[in-house]
Amino acid sequence: MVATDEELVARSMQGDVDSFNQLVLRWERPIYALAYRVIGRDEDARDVAQETFLRAFRALPGFKGQAKFSSWLYRIALNLCRDWIRRKKRTPVVDMPEGVDVIELAAAQGPVESIEDLVARQEMSAIVAEGMKLLPDEQRTAIVLKEYHGLTFQEIADLQGCPLSTVKTRLYQGLSVLRRHLESQGMTKYEG
Amino acid sequence: MSIQFTCDDKQTLIAYLYGEIEPAARRAIDEHLARCSACAAEAAALGGVRAELGLWMPPHAELDFAIVKKSELPPSNVLRPARWRNTVPVWAQAAAAVLMIAAAGAIANLQVKSGPDGLVVSTGWMQPALSERSAGDAASSRVEQPSDQEWKSALVAMEQQLRSEIRSTREQATPATARGSADDAMMRRVQQLITEAEKRHSQELAARLIDFTRDVNMQRRADLMNISRGMVSYEEQLQRQRQMINNVYRVSATPQQ
Repeated sequence: MVATDEELVARSMQGDVDSFNQLVLRWERPIYALAYRVIGRDEDARDVAQETFLRAFRALPGFKGQAKFSSWLYRIALNLCRDWIRRKKRTPVVDMPEGVDVIELAAAQGPVESIEDLVARQEMSAIVAEGMKLLPDEQRTAIVLKEYHGLTFQEIADLQGCPLSTVKTRLYQGLSVLRRHLESQGMTKYEG
Repeated sequence: MSIQFTCDDKQTLIAYLYGEIEPAARRAIDEHLARCSACAAEAAALGGVRAELGLWMPPHAELDFAIVKKSELPPSNVLRPARWRNTVPVWAQAAAAVLMIAAAGAIANLQVKSGPDGLVVSTGWMQPALSERSAGDAASSRVEQPSDQEWKSALVAMEQQLRSEIRSTREQATPATARGSADDAMMRRVQQLITEAEKRHSQELAARLIDFTRDVNMQRRADLMNISRGMVSYEEQLQRQRQMINNVYRVSATPQQ
């Protein structure tokens, strides 16, 4: 039977490092994905994810369990992302996919369905990533937490330290900016 | 009482899009969207954006983070410096103790007198008042001063006494004896300081070892990641070029119409 986060946390707090490593294994990918989408750099996202677990391990005795373990981790990771953005004083940069030219050449020579799909996927992914880069940190973070991590409005409000209505406004404004960006890039017109 | 939805209520529209809304409010929005084409278009557009967001995936990364137990690190006593007092012979320690006590005696101006009251040991730099040493008493003073033989015997007696004190101190398990002198207290204090310094040094050394091991591990993982990513990228590029060549062949093999 798979242990719950709460059970693993309880064992970890009693000094069981293996239990904590199970939590790490369970949450390392979501935390890395969160960091990557917020700061946009693979290497830095990796560092942020690693530091998140180190800090969580050190702060574990102080974890009282008022919040879910995952929310606690998200909070640590988001604080680290915020520190990273502030320290670097730069907007997030998104790694662009490589090798598109070769694929386009191949498609021009003789289009094959799978290559077209691949190109389309990569191009659209790049456009979405570019659009996310345009958003202010708060809007981007709110969209990432909602779209990719499925947090509730209230959980996002708790993490961002703002009212629930502000979260909804950030989501609306962020989605609207993305909509305009996608349309300007020639992607499907969403207007009716 | 029915819930009314207005076109400028964007927060409720967002709640509707993400499904975090009461059934009554949902029904109200559904009814509104059926009537208002602008709101219906906006809801569809934002829903479309959400669908496009699903295309953005982070790169595949081998993470494998793990907290390493302290016991898995090299034992901390490997590089621990030897305790100096364990390497000094006992006779040298005793000699050092005698030397130290003698030095302390010299600093304290130790004076030993043998008189009718027995052996008198006194310390301090205070000189007797000059009035007590009048010129007229000079001769009698010379008479009262001990002879060389008496000095020698007094020194021998003091040496024996000191040796016996050192021996008894060493034999006793507890360093704090009833007749502990200022020298003993100072020795204990010095030993305590040395022990604390060694302990602190060991802790710093262990902390540096942990940091060093972590840095090495991080660098090793980063290098492995880079190599792995490079290989994947190279293979993908190779695959694309292979497909491109196949396509070129396919096109060239197609008969011209």
